[in-house]
Amino acid sequence: MATQVMSLEKHRRKPLSSFILVVALAVLAYYTLVGIWPFVYNIWLTFRKTDLLTENKWIGLSNYAFMFTDPIFWKSLWHNVYYLIVTVAVGTVTSLILAALIYRTKGVARKIYTAMFFAPVVTSMVAVSLVWTLLYFPKIGLFAQIISGLFGVSRDKLVFLHGTETALLCIMIMDIWRDTGIRTVIFLAGMDEIPDSLYETARIDGASQLGQFFRITLPLLTPQLAFIAAVYSINAIRVYVPIYMMTGSPPGGPANSTMVLTLHMYLSAFYGQRFGYGAAISMVMFVILFGLVLAEIRAFQQRWEY
Amino acid sequence: MATVTATRWNRYRAGLLTRRFFLHLVLIILGLSMVFPLVWMVFSSFKPSLEVISTEFHLFPQTWTLRNYVRVFDEVTMGRGYVNSLIMSGFVTFFVLVSATAGGYLFAKLKFKGRDTLFFIVLGSVMVPPQIVLIPLYILMSRFGWINSYQGLIFPFIMNAFGIFLMRQSMYGIPNDLLEAARMDGASDFRIYYSVILPLVRSSIAVLGILVFLWTWDEFLWPLVTVSNNEMKTLPLLMAHFTQAEQKFPGESLAASTLVIGPVLVVYAFFQRHFVRGLSMTGLKG
Repeated sequence: MATQVMSLEKHRRKPLSSFILVVALAVLAYYTLVGIWPFVYNIWLTFRKTDLLTENKWIGLSNYAFMFTDPIFWKSLWHNVYYLIVTVAVGTVTSLILAALIYRTKGVARKIYTAMFFAPVVTSMVAVSLVWTLLYFPKIGLFAQIISGLFGVSRDKLVFLHGTETALLCIMIMDIWRDTGIRTVIFLAGMDEIPDSLYETARIDGASQLGQFFRITLPLLTPQLAFIAAVYSINAIRVYVPIYMMTGSPPGGPANSTMVLTLHMYLSAFYGQRFGYGAAISMVMFVILFGLVLAEIRAFQQRWEY
Repeated sequence: MATVTATRWNRYRAGLLTRRFFLHLVLIILGLSMVFPLVWMVFSSFKPSLEVISTEFHLFPQTWTLRNYVRVFDEVTMGRGYVNSLIMSGFVTFFVLVSATAGGYLFAKLKFKGRDTLFFIVLGSVMVPPQIVLIPLYILMSRFGWINSYQGLIFPFIMNAFGIFLMRQSMYGIPNDLLEAARMDGASDFRIYYSVILPLVRSSIAVLGILVFLWTWDEFLWPLVTVSNNEMKTLPLLMAHFTQAEQKFPGESLAASTLVIGPVLVVYAFFQRHFVRGLSMTGLKG
């Protein structure tokens, strides 16, 4: 009690500087305007049917009820989950292998390899999506030529983005390609921090190279693994750019085989003029992201302390 | 005896060398296939459209042409797109750097009532990126009359919770004694922020600046919603014109891609360390 009074007095004696006042109020005002208010308004919108022009009425839970019966919504949700599983799993494993290989090189060679793997990371997603669309050109594109040349698959079957079964997979491969460099660099930095003495002890105990990797390297990379899993899970739930760019018009095709939540939200609202329904879809994304972002913040903090 | 050890040693060395040889061979092949799409993009952007998609593969153009680039500037207003993208990315980067360093200082070193609540709000905003509150933000901007304007493009991005968080972390390490000494000399909080804090976190500023610029350069959904006027379209939006037409205009879409990626790759070549450090801290856009 006494200490509390004292600290209060201290506060009173020292008036807030104008810097604190200005910055704190600016931060508060800004996040109220673009964070808190839009979020509350978004929830309110989910109970309404509106085209933002003439129609605007309360419809209770109808948007949510419709969502449960909307096959495109369920399809989109599944695509996001599928995207998460594949990109996180394949992306993590390939980058781990690459990092383990680059870890064995030194000096200039290592710098060159890192630069090569990292180059796609700094490119624009919009632009590389266009480039890959051309590489995926059905039947006569470069990838079709390479695959039919290597594996003898008939070119007519290689439709890539035009096939309902292959389109999403092709997009995921491009996404994994683009961010391989970041993940590799993160793992590489983690591997560099592991002291050599640990490996030496293991070698004396007769552990094989593979044994050392699984018993020393992998457990000590836990913070990096958690961080990457969190970041790319969020990425998979939010993904839309490569899909919009690679599936043409209307996006999400062919036959909704690449439709994801963000695109479904965007199309429902801005094309279908159903803004209430769009808001309801974005609430679902919010709920999923909420847990993932918490995990990311924790992983991020751990990495900073590490 | 000695010769036996010598041959064994040689064999061991030879084994080591072959292993190293294969290691580098594998890495070179993998590395080249990583950059191949980009190399292909650059060379093919100088090919006539018919040659881009052809059953005969040549990396280098059979006939070099600048026609794709000319058409991209003449017919898709790429020049205007560049200006718009530069204005948007430049202003967003500037505002984020100012707000993130000021906010970082506020949360790392200054004490006031409600600080933790305010920081909680900042962190909470990570949960509601423009993508989630797209519709309310759109309504807000149209009430402001900011549809089809630079203000509308820039405003939702001028503060960045990640930026504030990053700056706060990098300012923790600055010794309090240093700030106390400046305060004793009569420096105000603003003066300390400007003359003491900012110079000490220069490298974090560079990293954050690069990140924010890249994110904004590639931002797609928000411009798609707020901009309909061709004059106001940013590069990503202009690129989207090609998605419907890429089969008809392969040469042009590659020229446009090269123009969007090119400048960033050149800057990357010079500031590779900052790029790698910054991007590997986040792993993600936005």
